[in-house]
Amino acid sequence: MIRRHFRHGTVRVVLVTAVLGALVSTVGPQLGGAGTVPAPLTAAKLRIAVPGAENNVTPFTITFGSTPNTHDFLNLVYDTLFWSQVKPEPDSWLAESAEPNADYTSWTVKLKPGLTWQDGKPLTADDILFTFDYYLTYKGSAGRYSHHVADVPPYTSGEVLDPLTVRLDFSAPAPQFRSLPGADLAIIPKHQWEGITDPKTMTDLPIGSGPYQVVEIQPDQLYRLKANPNHVMGKPTVDELELVVVKDPAAAFAALQTGDIDMVANNVPPELRDEFAGGGDVAMLKGSKFESTQMFFNARKEPLSDPILRKAISMSTDLQAIVDTVLLGQGVPGSDTFIHPDSPWAAPTPGHEYDPAAAVKSLDDAGYVAGADGVRSSPAGTKLEFSILVNSFAPGDIRAAQLVAEQTLALGVKFTVESLDPATLRERRASTVDAVPEYDAYVSTLEAHAHVDPDALYYFFHSPGAKGFGVSVSGFTNASFDGVVEGATIIPLDERADELNTAEEILADEIPGMSLWYRTGEYAYRPAAYGGWVSDPGHGIFTKRSFLPDTVAAAHPPEVVAVAVTEAPAVTEASAVEPATAATEAAVAPAATVVAATPADSSGEDNGGSALPWVVGIGAVGIAGGGLLMRSRRKTAPTDDDD
Amino acid sequence: MLDVVDASASPSARSRVAVTAGRHALSTGVRYLIVLFVAVSLNFAMPRLAPGNVVDYLMPPESAGSLTEADRQQVLQQFGLDQPAPQQYVHYLNRLVHGDLMVSARYGRPVRDVLFERVGWTVLLVGSSLLIATLIGVFLGFRSGWRRGGRNDVGALSAVLLADSTPPFFVGSMLLLVFSVRLGWVPTFGARPWSGAQGMALIGGILERLVLPLITLVIASIGPVFLVARSAMISELQEDYILGAEARGLTPAQVRRHAQRNAVLPVSTIVLMSIGTLVGGAAVVESVFSYPGLGRLIYESVVARDYPVIQGAALLLVLGVVLANFLNDMLYPLLDPRVRGRRGRR
Repeated sequence: MIRRHFRHGTVRVVLVTAVLGALVSTVGPQLGGAGTVPAPLTAAKLRIAVPGAENNVTPFTITFGSTPNTHDFLNLVYDTLFWSQVKPEPDSWLAESAEPNADYTSWTVKLKPGLTWQDGKPLTADDILFTFDYYLTYKGSAGRYSHHVADVPPYTSGEVLDPLTVRLDFSAPAPQFRSLPGADLAIIPKHQWEGITDPKTMTDLPIGSGPYQVVEIQPDQLYRLKANPNHVMGKPTVDELELVVVKDPAAAFAALQTGDIDMVANNVPPELRDEFAGGGDVAMLKGSKFESTQMFFNARKEPLSDPILRKAISMSTDLQAIVDTVLLGQGVPGSDTFIHPDSPWAAPTPGHEYDPAAAVKSLDDAGYVAGADGVRSSPAGTKLEFSILVNSFAPGDIRAAQLVAEQTLALGVKFTVESLDPATLRERRASTVDAVPEYDAYVSTLEAHAHVDPDALYYFFHSPGAKGFGVSVSGFTNASFDGVVEGATIIPLDERADELNTAEEILADEIPGMSLWYRTGEYAYRPAAYGGWVSDPGHGIFTKRSFLPDTVAAAHPPEVVAVAVTEAPAVTEASAVEPATAATEAAVAPAATVVAATPADSSGEDNGGSALPWVVGIGAVGIAGGGLLMRSRRKTAPTDDDD
Repeated sequence: MLDVVDASASPSARSRVAVTAGRHALSTGVRYLIVLFVAVSLNFAMPRLAPGNVVDYLMPPESAGSLTEADRQQVLQQFGLDQPAPQQYVHYLNRLVHGDLMVSARYGRPVRDVLFERVGWTVLLVGSSLLIATLIGVFLGFRSGWRRGGRNDVGALSAVLLADSTPPFFVGSMLLLVFSVRLGWVPTFGARPWSGAQGMALIGGILERLVLPLITLVIASIGPVFLVARSAMISELQEDYILGAEARGLTPAQVRRHAQRNAVLPVSTIVLMSIGTLVGGAAVVESVFSYPGLGRLIYESVVARDYPVIQGAALLLVLGVVLANFLNDMLYPLLDPRVRGRRGRR
């Protein structure tokens, strides 16, 4: 009987594990063979992993579940008047032109002729006016998109002049109209939304004018998007997109390796980077979504209300060390001036002042005295013991907060890290204008919008009150700062840089929040499936320009279209139309580079996968050891009910 | 033993069993209704005790902070969450009686639809894993208990303990790495093929995506079943009737059958009781394999403070557990003639 020969439990387990281990070690190296096939610039179908679902992808029902890709996801389906807000003067998109009156309080928008919605109905000036009115009426439901009609610039009403022309009026000058809301607000069809009074429960498939039409939704699993052949920028290069929801990043990148999907919309996590840099069937393209992670202080609570203390904490923090530890070097240390260094609104000399000795001196001078335990107290007598609130789902943020706590200990400031689930964290941050919230500091991540919006400083750091987000960010209060940023919102963009630089200098001196890092974007895809990816600064590569024929062609001139290239051209857009702009953008953009795709060899196995035989081995040793231990125990003390 | 089994076969005994079983069903039914009501109330109250609310989840905190109270109400009102809690409670009970589970704040869709899309996958995944884990667990457990301390017992016990103490996400990730990424035998994520598959191909596609999450969940849930089956077997073997049976010269196989018959009781309890925890516990496995089950839905709804979905899903779970208990209560007299006899005498 086979059972006889094979009945020894321990032996069996060891055998099975050994076989498994052998299987893994022999099969491993055979995989990942590189093929240097030309990467096609068109495709019939592409499967992309997004990290979260966005309901039925309308501006009112999205959940920011696929953050930081939400804005670009939405804008595959919808279009804006101009695109994109990353540039001070965005390109003409649905709008042929938009001209202001003398004081910028009224804009006359002229649409391109012959525009249609994805259902074939004509897109006219009526829809534009309806869109602005609707966002204003349902500003609570519009969430992130409402403040560019409700706050800055403050939209009041408009008038349709002819089917292609509409005039939009504002109660304050709106010099930034072309970028905000012009390049931000998704234009929605009047014929779908008219009469809908609870936009958050609208469940129909969206009708947009963007390059892709949503034709099927399997909730929380799949979005099927079909190319819109009548798109204003031409027929998209990929006929069909399947956006699949894969929430676990490890699973998403595993699926990319197997070819189950062709691209992952999210950044390659630092710990997986080496695996893909080794080449094979997966290539990487650099880009940046202008994400930033920062630690905001509660600037309304004593003693953190003292800018000297906040600045001293900032000066004691070695941001490069944090980037090296948390991001394994895949990022740029934060700038004291807040705005992303690649944004058109960045200070001329962004950077971080790291000087622990000067920090100690400044606190000494300001009367912060250290106690017996080395922790200082404020002149008012409050001990400098604070907590940093972090999102428990963001391990990187937790680690960063721990590092800040370690680094500032020498200064005599004691931070403890408190990790909370996101809803609790938001609750702890929440406050009314008159109250001082209890928290001390928190870590948060912001999207491109916070860095490319010329009014971002106004929104984020205006003193608490009716204007800006003040109360919900840090409660930073500075009258002269308010004056500068308020003034900046109503002057033309080309005159704005000086004002914003003044504001950024105030931030650098008073540090309402420490910018910790700007994430470097690297996106992984399978070039054999599609090679037309465009690295669009502020958007990464999962963005509509990666599927629009002109931008794809401009980014991939015929002679360099091959997987083996190491240098992809920097992003250019519609270069035939605007060569000068392309040059400026190239200067702003980090050069788009396909990370060296060298063929994999057997020595290229020093990646995460090689841990597997070890794990199996350790497991086998554990089982065998345990089995032997129990067996020997049984021999010394045999049980009487044995056979 | 044999006498008791024979007695239940006589007609009068059978009708007596039917009557007591009917009365038993009625009284337990009433008890379960009370349990259900308490559970529904707790389902309503518990999520609301957690800090935070759905408006803060639905938009970035910076813009949420700039909303006026009226703006917030405009959002909450669309989900029926704008009224004070007592009114919401009455409203909720009222709608519930009419079979309406309200609208999800995160999905903007009726909770019933959201649950309906997932419950099938959960029944498939959790149900089949429960079945398989029970069969394997009982088989191994009885075998281990029968030869306690024997080689089979040592091998199975250490294997099961190892399986039970390994975190499911680790097992899942390893399986994914080996069988999907390295070997390419099965797809990496999802529950069904996205396009083009029909008929047998569709079933095949569903099954091949089921394999890894199923194995992971079986590994994760086999421990308790095995241990209970094993110890039940061991304690039965120490009973006098076993000694008696052996003394009467029954073959080991006959003795084992007697012991197994009685050892099944605690196993059936633990299996049916574990349904609730298993559905929730499947969340991790569902995350690793991007499987659209109830566990992940509940977890994400808690994070988002999507009260209507939490209420609905928890209600479903409670119903499942209550139903399982009910089944267990019904099953018990059938499985255990002693219970039957005692109730009959009362």
